[in-house]
Amino acid sequence: MDSKQINELIEKYWNCETSLEEEQLLREYFNGQDIPESLKEVATLFQYFEREKTKSLDSSFDENVKKRFREGARVRSLSMVQIVRIAAGVFVVIAATFFIRKEIKEAYPDEIAETYTDPKVALEETKKALMMISNSFNKAEKGAGQIKIFNEAETRIQGKAQPAKNDKKQL
Amino acid sequence: MNFELFETRVLPAKNKLFRFAFRLLGSSEEAKDVVQEVFIKVWNGREQMSEIQNMEAWCMRITKNLALDKLRSKRHQTTESLEDSFDMQHEAPTPYETTEIRESMSKINQWISALPEKQRQVIHLRDVEGYSYNEICEILELDMNQVKISLFRARNAVKEKFLKVNAYGL
Repeated sequence: MDSKQINELIEKYWNCETSLEEEQLLREYFNGQDIPESLKEVATLFQYFEREKTKSLDSSFDENVKKRFREGARVRSLSMVQIVRIAAGVFVVIAATFFIRKEIKEAYPDEIAETYTDPKVALEETKKALMMISNSFNKAEKGAGQIKIFNEAETRIQGKAQPAKNDKKQL
Repeated sequence: MNFELFETRVLPAKNKLFRFAFRLLGSSEEAKDVVQEVFIKVWNGREQMSEIQNMEAWCMRITKNLALDKLRSKRHQTTESLEDSFDMQHEAPTPYETTEIRESMSKINQWISALPEKQRQVIHLRDVEGYSYNEICEILELDMNQVKISLFRARNAVKEKFLKVNAYGL
Protein backbone atom coordinates (compact mmCIF):
# COMPACT_ATOMS: atom_id res chain seq x y z
CA MET A 1 0.00 0.00 0.00
CA ASP A 2 1.48 3.38 -0.97
CA SER A 3 1.49 6.41 1.29
CA LYS A 4 -1.21 8.14 -0.78
CA GLN A 5 -3.64 5.29 -0.11
CA ILE A 6 -2.65 5.27 3.53
CA ASN A 7 -3.24 9.02 3.82
CA GLU A 8 -6.67 8.61 2.26
CA LEU A 9 -7.49 5.80 4.67
CA ILE A 10 -6.30 7.86 7.63
CA GLU A 11 -8.52 10.73 6.56
CA LYS A 12 -11.43 8.32 6.30
CA TYR A 13 -10.48 6.96 9.72
CA TRP A 14 -10.63 10.41 11.38
CA ASN A 15 -14.03 10.96 9.81
CA CYS A 16 -15.29 7.55 11.02
CA GLU A 17 -15.91 6.40 7.45
CA THR A 18 -13.64 3.34 7.51
CA SER A 19 -14.98 -0.18 7.69
CA LEU A 20 -13.63 -2.72 10.19
CA GLU A 21 -11.58 -4.27 7.37
CA GLU A 22 -10.01 -0.93 6.45
CA GLU A 23 -9.20 -0.25 10.08
CA GLN A 24 -7.55 -3.66 10.25
CA LEU A 25 -5.47 -2.74 7.18
CA LEU A 26 -4.31 0.44 8.91
CA ARG A 27 -3.46 -1.49 12.07
CA GLU A 28 -1.41 -4.04 10.12
CA TYR A 29 0.35 -1.35 8.11
CA PHE A 30 1.34 0.75 11.12
CA ASN A 31 2.49 -2.25 13.10
CA GLY A 32 4.75 -3.31 10.26
CA GLN A 33 8.16 -2.05 9.15
CA ASP A 34 9.22 0.82 6.84
CA ILE A 35 6.78 3.47 7.94
CA PRO A 36 7.53 6.86 6.34
CA GLU A 37 8.74 9.53 8.75
CA SER A 38 5.69 11.72 8.08
CA LEU A 39 3.39 8.93 9.35
CA LYS A 40 5.48 7.86 12.35
CA GLU A 41 3.40 9.88 14.76
CA VAL A 42 0.01 8.56 13.72
CA ALA A 43 1.57 5.10 13.62
CA THR A 44 2.04 5.24 17.40
CA LEU A 45 -1.72 5.53 17.80
CA PHE A 46 -2.31 2.24 15.98
CA GLN A 47 0.63 0.68 17.80
CA TYR A 48 -0.93 1.84 21.04
CA PHE A 49 -4.23 0.13 20.16
CA GLU A 50 -2.41 -3.05 19.23
CA ARG A 51 -0.44 -2.97 22.44
CA GLU A 52 -3.54 -2.39 24.52
CA LYS A 53 -4.89 -5.60 23.05
CA THR A 54 -2.03 -7.58 24.55
CA LYS A 55 -3.17 -6.82 28.09
CA SER A 56 -4.42 -10.06 29.50
CA LEU A 57 -5.29 -11.88 32.66
CA ASP A 58 -2.65 -14.21 34.00
CA SER A 59 -3.07 -17.95 33.58
CA SER A 60 -4.03 -18.42 37.23
CA PHE A 61 -7.31 -16.61 36.56
CA ASP A 62 -8.94 -19.56 34.80
CA GLU A 63 -7.96 -21.87 37.62
CA ASN A 64 -9.33 -19.46 40.21
CA VAL A 65 -12.64 -19.17 38.38
CA LYS A 66 -12.99 -22.91 38.00
CA LYS A 67 -12.02 -23.43 41.63
CA ARG A 68 -14.59 -20.85 42.69
CA PHE A 69 -17.30 -22.59 40.71
CA ARG A 70 -16.32 -25.91 42.20
CA GLU A 71 -16.46 -24.30 45.67
CA GLY A 72 -19.86 -22.92 44.74
CA ALA A 73 -21.00 -26.46 44.05
CA ARG A 74 -19.58 -27.54 47.38
CA VAL A 75 -21.37 -24.68 49.11
CA ARG A 76 -24.60 -26.01 47.60
CA SER A 77 -23.96 -29.50 49.04
CA LEU A 78 -22.98 -27.91 52.35
CA SER A 79 -26.33 -26.19 52.47
CA MET A 80 -27.90 -29.66 52.38
CA VAL A 81 -25.91 -30.47 55.50
CA GLN A 82 -27.14 -27.24 57.01
CA ILE A 83 -30.75 -28.21 56.23
CA VAL A 84 -30.21 -31.49 58.09
CA ARG A 85 -28.71 -29.56 60.99
CA ILE A 86 -31.68 -27.20 61.11
CA ALA A 87 -34.08 -30.16 60.98
CA ALA A 88 -32.20 -31.80 63.86
CA GLY A 89 -32.43 -28.55 65.84
CA VAL A 90 -36.18 -28.32 65.28
CA PHE A 91 -36.59 -31.96 66.34
CA VAL A 92 -34.67 -31.31 69.59
CA VAL A 93 -36.90 -28.28 70.39
CA ILE A 94 -40.10 -30.29 69.73
CA ALA A 95 -38.87 -33.23 71.82
CA ALA A 96 -37.83 -30.91 74.66
CA THR A 97 -41.27 -29.19 74.62
CA PHE A 98 -43.00 -32.59 74.74
CA PHE A 99 -41.01 -33.79 77.77
CA ILE A 100 -41.30 -30.49 79.64
CA ARG A 101 -45.10 -30.54 79.15
CA LYS A 102 -45.19 -34.10 80.41
CA GLU A 103 -43.17 -33.13 83.49
CA ILE A 104 -45.46 -30.17 84.23
CA LYS A 105 -48.55 -32.37 83.87
CA GLU A 106 -47.13 -34.87 86.31
CA ALA A 107 -46.15 -32.19 88.81
CA TYR A 108 -49.55 -30.40 88.70
CA PRO A 109 -52.23 -33.00 87.88
CA ASP A 110 -55.35 -31.58 86.31
CA GLU A 111 -58.11 -31.29 88.93
CA ILE A 112 -61.04 -30.84 86.61
CA ALA A 113 -60.39 -33.50 84.05
CA GLU A 114 -61.87 -36.99 84.40
CA THR A 115 -64.04 -36.31 87.54
CA TYR A 116 -67.03 -38.42 86.45
CA THR A 117 -67.15 -41.77 84.74
CA ASP A 118 -70.94 -42.12 84.39
CA PRO A 119 -72.47 -39.73 81.81
CA LYS A 120 -75.83 -39.65 83.69
CA VAL A 121 -74.19 -38.47 86.91
CA ALA A 122 -72.19 -35.96 84.90
CA LEU A 123 -75.41 -34.64 83.34
CA GLU A 124 -77.07 -34.31 86.78
CA GLU A 125 -74.07 -32.48 88.15
CA THR A 126 -74.04 -30.14 85.14
CA LYS A 127 -77.75 -29.46 85.62
CA LYS A 128 -77.12 -28.63 89.30
CA ALA A 129 -74.33 -26.26 88.33
CA LEU A 130 -76.49 -24.56 85.72
CA MET A 131 -79.37 -24.22 88.21
CA MET A 132 -77.02 -22.58 90.68
CA ILE A 133 -75.90 -20.10 88.01
CA SER A 134 -79.57 -19.50 87.08
CA ASN A 135 -80.53 -18.76 90.73
CA SER A 136 -77.67 -16.35 91.05
CA PHE A 137 -78.83 -14.60 87.88
CA ASN A 138 -82.36 -14.25 89.30
CA LYS A 139 -81.06 -12.73 92.54
CA ALA A 140 -78.97 -10.28 90.54
CA GLU A 141 -81.98 -9.37 88.41
CA LYS A 142 -84.00 -8.42 91.54
CA GLY A 143 -81.14 -6.17 92.58
CA ALA A 144 -81.09 -4.62 89.13
CA GLY A 145 -84.88 -3.92 89.49
CA GLN A 146 -84.19 -1.77 92.55
CA ILE A 147 -81.71 0.27 90.51
CA LYS A 148 -84.52 0.80 87.99
CA ILE A 149 -86.73 2.35 90.73
CA PHE A 150 -83.87 4.59 91.75
CA ASN A 151 -83.42 5.76 88.13
CA GLU A 152 -87.14 6.52 87.76
CA ALA A 153 -87.06 8.59 90.97
CA GLU A 154 -84.09 10.52 89.69
CA THR A 155 -85.79 11.43 86.39
CA ARG A 156 -88.95 12.50 88.28
CA ILE A 157 -86.90 14.84 90.54
CA GLN A 158 -85.20 16.30 87.52
CA GLY A 159 -88.61 16.84 85.82
CA LYS A 160 -89.85 18.83 88.79
CA ALA A 161 -86.70 20.85 89.19
CA GLN A 162 -86.82 22.05 85.57
CA PRO A 163 -90.18 23.99 85.73
CA ALA A 164 -89.07 25.59 89.01
CA LYS A 165 -86.09 27.13 87.16
CA ASN A 166 -88.41 28.39 84.44
CA ASP A 167 -90.69 30.00 87.10
CA LYS A 168 -87.75 31.95 88.46
CA LYS A 169 -86.98 33.32 85.01
CA GLN A 170 -90.58 34.45 84.52
CA LEU A 171 -90.46 36.39 87.75
CA MET B 1 -25.66 -24.26 29.92
CA ASN B 2 -23.19 -26.78 31.32
CA PHE B 3 -19.61 -26.07 32.36
CA GLU B 4 -18.21 -27.24 29.00
CA LEU B 5 -20.35 -24.71 27.15
CA PHE B 6 -19.36 -22.06 29.64
CA GLU B 7 -15.72 -22.88 29.04
CA THR B 8 -16.06 -22.60 25.26
CA ARG B 9 -18.53 -19.71 24.96
CA VAL B 10 -17.87 -17.45 27.93
CA LEU B 11 -14.42 -18.03 29.38
CA PRO B 12 -12.50 -17.14 26.16
CA ALA B 13 -13.86 -13.58 26.38
CA LYS B 14 -12.06 -13.04 29.69
CA ASN B 15 -9.29 -10.82 28.32
CA LYS B 16 -11.67 -8.55 26.43
CA LEU B 17 -13.79 -8.20 29.55
CA PHE B 18 -10.70 -7.54 31.62
CA ARG B 19 -9.40 -4.83 29.25
CA PHE B 20 -12.77 -3.13 29.12
CA ALA B 21 -13.15 -3.19 32.92
CA PHE B 22 -9.58 -1.95 33.24
CA ARG B 23 -10.30 0.90 30.82
CA LEU B 24 -13.20 1.97 33.03
CA LEU B 25 -11.68 1.34 36.46
CA GLY B 26 -7.97 1.90 35.90
CA SER B 27 -7.04 -0.84 38.36
CA SER B 28 -6.11 -4.33 37.26
CA GLU B 29 -7.14 -5.89 40.58
CA GLU B 30 -10.58 -4.34 40.45
CA ALA B 31 -10.92 -5.22 36.77
CA LYS B 32 -10.10 -8.83 37.64
CA ASP B 33 -12.75 -8.81 40.38
CA VAL B 34 -15.30 -7.45 37.92
CA VAL B 35 -14.55 -10.22 35.41
CA GLN B 36 -15.01 -12.81 38.15
CA GLU B 37 -18.30 -11.22 39.15
CA VAL B 38 -19.42 -11.27 35.50
CA PHE B 39 -18.64 -14.96 35.22
CA ILE B 40 -20.46 -15.74 38.45
CA LYS B 41 -23.47 -13.75 37.28
CA VAL B 42 -23.50 -15.54 33.93
CA TRP B 43 -23.03 -18.93 35.58
CA ASN B 44 -25.81 -18.35 38.12
CA GLY B 45 -28.20 -17.23 35.39
CA ARG B 46 -27.14 -19.92 32.93
CA GLU B 47 -30.67 -21.28 32.58
CA GLN B 48 -31.80 -18.07 30.84
CA MET B 49 -28.61 -17.74 28.78
CA SER B 50 -29.70 -20.02 25.97
CA GLU B 51 -31.83 -17.20 24.52
CA ILE B 52 -28.85 -14.85 24.19
CA GLN B 53 -27.43 -14.77 20.69
CA ASN B 54 -24.23 -12.80 21.19
CA MET B 55 -22.86 -14.09 24.45
CA GLU B 56 -19.67 -12.03 24.26
CA ALA B 57 -21.53 -8.74 23.76
CA TRP B 58 -23.82 -9.72 26.63
CA CYS B 59 -20.84 -10.34 28.91
CA MET B 60 -19.29 -7.03 27.83
CA ARG B 61 -22.52 -5.27 28.77
CA ILE B 62 -22.55 -6.87 32.23
CA THR B 63 -18.88 -5.88 32.59
CA LYS B 64 -19.70 -2.29 31.76
CA ASN B 65 -22.56 -2.16 34.25
CA LEU B 66 -20.60 -3.79 37.08
CA ALA B 67 -17.52 -1.64 36.45
CA LEU B 68 -19.58 1.55 36.38
CA ASP B 69 -21.35 0.53 39.61
CA LYS B 70 -17.99 -0.04 41.22
CA LEU B 71 -16.69 3.24 39.88
CA ARG B 72 -19.65 5.18 41.19
CA SER B 73 -19.59 3.55 44.59
CA LYS B 74 -15.92 4.15 45.13
CA ARG B 75 -15.68 7.51 43.35
CA HIS B 76 -12.50 6.61 41.59
CA GLN B 77 -10.22 9.06 39.94
CA THR B 78 -9.72 7.00 36.82
CA THR B 79 -7.42 9.35 34.98
CA GLU B 80 -4.87 9.37 37.77
CA SER B 81 -4.92 5.67 38.39
CA LEU B 82 -4.68 4.91 34.68
CA GLU B 83 -1.59 7.01 34.45
CA ASP B 84 -0.12 5.45 37.55
CA SER B 85 -0.65 1.92 36.40
CA PHE B 86 0.18 2.41 32.76
CA ASP B 87 3.70 1.10 32.93
CA MET B 88 2.95 -1.72 35.31
CA GLN B 89 0.13 -3.25 33.33
CA HIS B 90 2.01 -3.77 30.11
CA GLU B 91 4.32 -6.56 29.24
CA ALA B 92 8.01 -5.76 29.28
CA PRO B 93 8.95 -3.52 26.34
CA THR B 94 10.55 -5.25 23.39
CA PRO B 95 14.12 -4.30 22.46
CA TYR B 96 12.72 -2.46 19.42
CA GLU B 97 10.59 -0.26 21.57
CA THR B 98 12.46 2.93 22.17
CA THR B 99 11.92 5.27 25.09
CA GLU B 100 10.51 7.74 22.59
CA ILE B 101 7.78 5.34 21.50
CA ARG B 102 6.95 4.47 25.07
CA GLU B 103 6.61 8.13 25.91
CA SER B 104 4.30 8.76 22.94
CA MET B 105 2.17 5.78 23.94
CA SER B 106 1.96 7.03 27.48
CA LYS B 107 0.83 10.38 26.10
CA ILE B 108 -1.85 8.74 23.92
CA ASN B 109 -3.00 6.80 26.94
CA GLN B 110 -3.39 10.04 28.86
CA TRP B 111 -5.38 11.59 26.04
CA ILE B 112 -7.74 8.64 25.81
CA SER B 113 -8.08 8.40 29.58
CA ALA B 114 -9.05 12.04 29.71
CA LEU B 115 -11.92 11.59 27.23
CA PRO B 116 -15.51 11.66 28.51
CA GLU B 117 -16.66 8.24 29.70
CA LYS B 118 -18.86 7.39 26.72
CA GLN B 119 -16.21 8.41 24.15
CA ARG B 120 -13.60 6.42 26.03
CA GLN B 121 -15.79 3.33 25.99
CA VAL B 122 -16.61 3.65 22.28
CA ILE B 123 -13.02 4.24 21.10
CA HIS B 124 -11.84 1.31 23.20
CA LEU B 125 -14.47 -1.06 21.83
CA ARG B 126 -13.89 -0.03 18.22
CA ASP B 127 -10.16 0.64 17.97
CA VAL B 128 -8.76 -1.79 20.52
CA GLU B 129 -11.27 -4.63 20.36
CA GLY B 130 -12.49 -4.16 16.78
CA TYR B 131 -16.22 -4.46 17.48
CA SER B 132 -18.77 -3.52 14.79
CA TYR B 133 -21.04 -0.52 15.34
CA ASN B 134 -23.99 -2.86 15.96
CA GLU B 135 -22.11 -4.73 18.64
CA ILE B 136 -21.07 -1.48 20.32
CA CYS B 137 -24.72 -0.39 20.35
CA GLU B 138 -25.63 -3.68 22.03
CA ILE B 139 -22.85 -3.49 24.61
CA LEU B 140 -23.34 0.13 25.57
CA GLU B 141 -27.13 0.16 25.15
CA LEU B 142 -26.90 3.19 22.88
CA ASP B 143 -28.36 3.91 19.45
CA MET B 144 -26.24 3.98 16.31
CA ASN B 145 -26.20 7.77 16.16
CA GLN B 146 -24.88 8.16 19.68
CA VAL B 147 -22.17 5.57 19.04
CA LYS B 148 -21.01 7.21 15.79
CA ILE B 149 -21.02 10.70 17.29
CA SER B 150 -19.07 9.52 20.34
CA LEU B 151 -16.49 7.77 18.17
CA PHE B 152 -16.17 10.80 15.89
CA ARG B 153 -15.61 13.09 18.87
CA ALA B 154 -13.15 10.72 20.48
CA ARG B 155 -11.05 10.26 17.34
CA ASN B 156 -11.10 13.97 16.64
CA ALA B 157 -10.03 14.81 20.17
CA VAL B 158 -7.02 12.53 19.65
CA LYS B 159 -6.35 14.07 16.22
CA GLU B 160 -6.47 17.56 17.76
CA LYS B 161 -3.88 16.51 20.33
CA PHE B 162 -1.59 15.24 17.55
CA LEU B 163 -1.97 18.54 15.72
CA LYS B 164 -1.18 20.47 18.89
CA VAL B 165 1.92 18.39 19.52
CA ASN B 166 3.10 19.08 15.97
CA ALA B 167 2.34 22.78 16.14
CA TYR B 168 3.73 23.54 19.60
CA GLY B 169 5.80 20.48 20.34
CA LEU B 170 3.72 19.85 23.51
